[in-house]
Amino acid sequence: MIRLDGVCKNFDRAALIDVHLHVPQSCLFGLIGPGASGKSLLLRMITGLMRPDRGTITVGGKDVLTMGDMQLHEYRKGIGMLFQNNALFDFMTVAENIAFPLRRLFDLSEEEIAARVAERLGRVDLAGFEGRLPAGLSGGQKKRVGVARATVSQAPIVLYDEPAAGLDPVTSQKIFDLLRAEQREKKATVVMVSSDLDRLLTVTDRVGMMLGGRLIFEGTTEEAKTASDPRVYQFVHGKVDGPL
Amino acid sequence: MAAETSSRAGHALGSLGQKASDGLSLVGGFGVLLSSIVVRAVKRDFDRGEFLRNLYRMGIKSMPIVTVTALFTGGIMVIQAAPIVQRYGAYGLLGWGAGFGTLREIAPLLTALMINGRVGANNTAELGTMAVTEQIDALRALAIDPIGFLVAPRFLAIVITLFLSTIFSDALALLGAAYAGAGFLGVEPAVFYRGLTTGLLGFGDVAHGLEKSIVFGVVIGLSSCHFGLSTKGGAPGVGRSVNATVVASAAGIFVLDYLLSFALS
Repeated sequence: MIRLDGVCKNFDRAALIDVHLHVPQSCLFGLIGPGASGKSLLLRMITGLMRPDRGTITVGGKDVLTMGDMQLHEYRKGIGMLFQNNALFDFMTVAENIAFPLRRLFDLSEEEIAARVAERLGRVDLAGFEGRLPAGLSGGQKKRVGVARATVSQAPIVLYDEPAAGLDPVTSQKIFDLLRAEQREKKATVVMVSSDLDRLLTVTDRVGMMLGGRLIFEGTTEEAKTASDPRVYQFVHGKVDGPL
Repeated sequence: MAAETSSRAGHALGSLGQKASDGLSLVGGFGVLLSSIVVRAVKRDFDRGEFLRNLYRMGIKSMPIVTVTALFTGGIMVIQAAPIVQRYGAYGLLGWGAGFGTLREIAPLLTALMINGRVGANNTAELGTMAVTEQIDALRALAIDPIGFLVAPRFLAIVITLFLSTIFSDALALLGAAYAGAGFLGVEPAVFYRGLTTGLLGFGDVAHGLEKSIVFGVVIGLSSCHFGLSTKGGAPGVGRSVNATVVASAAGIFVLDYLLSFALS
């Protein structure tokens, strides 16, 4: 479904080095790794927000890097994305933020949009927050609004960058369970970056680990937990002693 | 010694080349952005709601500051003209003197500088904050064109705001001048009005100032949107972009004012 081959990107240093990644259709793929290892950058490349210096990116058999503006526009309609710092539009209310992709991309009545927004807000425990502005929300509430906006259009591909950052453990587990349940229900292909490994690994089908711009591991969640690579093992189990 | 001199010269040339390259890159960026906006404006492929919202925020809400600026500008024109008017007893020419400078130069220029400070800086700060908090990327990821949704409406709203504000400012500045003339020089407003309308001033003088206001609006709109969109580096980056917008727009306004004053005369 999502395939990256030989992807490289340099800024003032090498940010991605020869990354080969394959995410099968309807898979919930967890992308883990220390900070600044290139995880968020990979998500931006999958959406076409950033281009690699070398390599290919194909999604659903289509080459993302050769798409023109119109094709990219159509391609992005099929992607939901949660940004690391939520990227809520601060001049819109919570309801307007969530309704925004529906209003702009789909031909739905206002009643249908209102129903979808109310349903999303209910799923993230924010019913009654429709009229609030993002500036009046806590970090965790903003994150949940971001999740609601990323999932409201029921896109076949959803990318989450730290969906549980800033959330308490209970809400965090609820969000992961919700995202897992929705992924199963819609059979969406999901790539999820999270530092909350304890919870992330309870919902993923497959896991990839980035380190220093390289993908050093890709396998099932069970394989990640029992990885022979000491770096992967140390990171997954949160050990202090080890090569990292 | 010679090697050191040569090294310094090389360094200076390199620095000059870098600045020239940055300047060309900036001009190129302005050109690309302007063409993107024009294409959307011609195709009417921009968000009408955002356009109206910005027209209100930028235009209506700027009225108080434009009013104050215009009224006092008219008064200042009269105070500066007063010694000459009194010396030669040319009270009947006060309307023409104040009107000529105000309509052709001072009202469009000062209105543009006020709109630059209030609207241009604010526009850059908003777009810059949206850029550093990934809101612009979020629009792209949601398959929404940031130029059509955010930039073109703001650019058009700035150009229209400045054009309409200049008309408003012209009228108020003349009103301020008329009452300052009455207060300081004892020139009746009717005499001032006759000085404006006896044929020495024409529609061409009003149009001269309004043509300038459109160009100034384009400068402020382009500059504020360009620096806003290219903001990097968090809150300090937003501050740098706002500073760059205000300075670049003001410099652009003065340079173009000079050139236009030649071209349109």
